[in-house]
Amino acid sequence: MKREVLLSPDQPELGSALRRAMEMEPADIAFEVREAKLLGRGGAGFPAGVKWVLAGGASGAKKYVICNADEGEPGTFKDRVLIERYADRLLEGMAIAGYAIGSDEGIIYLRAEYPYLVPVIEEARSRMLSGGLLGKNLFGGRFSFDVEVRMGSGAYVCGEETALLESLEGRRGEPRNKPPYPVNSGYRGCPTIINNVETFITVPHIILNGAEWFRGLGEDGDAGTKLFSISGDVERPGVYELAMGSTIGELLDLAGAVDIQAVQVGGASGRTIRGDQLDRKLSFRDLPPGGSVIVFNGSRNMLEVLRNFSDFFVHESCGQCTPCREGNRQLRLAVGKILEGEFCCRRCLDSFFELASVMKDTSKCGFGQTSANCFVDIVGGFLDLPEDCSRVHEQNPCHEGR
Amino acid sequence: MAKTPEQVVAEAADRTGRSPDSVLRLLQEVNREFGYVPHEAIRAVSRITGKSAAHVRGVATFYSFLSSKPRGRHIVRLCSTVSCEMKGSSEVLKALEKELGICAGNTTPDGRVTLETTSCLGLCDKSPAMLVNDVPYSGLTPETACEIVRGLR
Repeated sequence: MKREVLLSPDQPELGSALRRAMEMEPADIAFEVREAKLLGRGGAGFPAGVKWVLAGGASGAKKYVICNADEGEPGTFKDRVLIERYADRLLEGMAIAGYAIGSDEGIIYLRAEYPYLVPVIEEARSRMLSGGLLGKNLFGGRFSFDVEVRMGSGAYVCGEETALLESLEGRRGEPRNKPPYPVNSGYRGCPTIINNVETFITVPHIILNGAEWFRGLGEDGDAGTKLFSISGDVERPGVYELAMGSTIGELLDLAGAVDIQAVQVGGASGRTIRGDQLDRKLSFRDLPPGGSVIVFNGSRNMLEVLRNFSDFFVHESCGQCTPCREGNRQLRLAVGKILEGEFCCRRCLDSFFELASVMKDTSKCGFGQTSANCFVDIVGGFLDLPEDCSRVHEQNPCHEGR
Repeated sequence: MAKTPEQVVAEAADRTGRSPDSVLRLLQEVNREFGYVPHEAIRAVSRITGKSAAHVRGVATFYSFLSSKPRGRHIVRLCSTVSCEMKGSSEVLKALEKELGICAGNTTPDGRVTLETTSCLGLCDKSPAMLVNDVPYSGLTPETACEIVRGLR
């Protein structure tokens, strides 16, 4: 169901949430966000409040608040739209986070593809500084907070939070081993929270209206609303805000779609469902909703779609761990062989499904753990291949690659 | 007189600091100045941060927006990811390649334009899209894309 909070035309006064927050005990803010069951809006769905409680309790004189503005998932653009419209609200959310965990320094890690958003953020920051909502001794108290924008340089994997930290520290964006988790040892070894743009922008609304109100916004026990970037074969592509737990069908009705063959939820690393499964829910309990929804009509060759995604993963794998680096290459080769007709039955592909599960289990970070999803879903769900073609194999032994 | 890579790195280091944390930011400044990261800059960043040249080169070659070879005065990055492909980015690419007389990944002989394809630009609601230097263009057709590129001097 369409339900607008973040995109509502009726916005609370800027700074009112920060003022309210600073009347509370810092720990109570983190508890409130945790009670709201705000799950990370970047796609991983980790409870934001849990990060805040842990980072707030971690020992360290210096702590950091980092905004992950590196949305690179194909089909995702909600954070771009949010920054274009609500950069000041984002800064307010980060300041509230700073107060909650005891940090005076925020960093926005902005993807290289959005250089034109730098002036947008800087203008919002200037307004906040002159309005006394950023800077030293806010509201006459002891709390100070400011935010710096740092640019990425074009690497999808840097959306993974520890790869992002590596990049901020000037290195290759290769994910770290966890633990330690960033809440204990993050940027420069200091306790750090890393949240998505949408997560931070949601926080001021939670502070003003309460955790219970937020939980009540979702459907069937899911909390809050969620932004979706919808593109592909729809009449009205764009960003829509719906109650968490709404169905795919409800979203597609808003965007206008006919002759739906497939819908991909959560981007290239998300899940691809068939057009007859529109009652599936946009929820971390069903289809994890990162932000991207791409619609494919009946005219699309899903194998060509898969080829495009496979190229993307081969290009963007950081190369650090073998299952991801080599696994994605092998899956890309397999897609090519299906397209060329060399792999012609399910048996030809058994070993690639096994490889997909190995990648899921053994890759170091979320990239390799999810990049085989589209192969599994598209080859498994959209390809009309015979179980076995052993008679053909006698003449044309296509099992060679196994 | 044009600045040398060493000068650019030294000046940038006054802003970013000289710690190992600054490697990427120094490389970004070099890339902005020269359009790519020359070998001399790798060594200069290595000296100024105390990290090995191998480490610095490792960083420089990791990121798509840092180039290790000279590029044109203008960088055109056309999105080749799915939403843009569905709306005709392949035709736009063909038209741009014909207009410029080069294949994607190359620079015009006069050094005017480098044409690249890139991963999702986050403009999927207005596909197909491209980034020309720091400016986004969307809703492209082969004609409008060529017109934009013709205007680059």
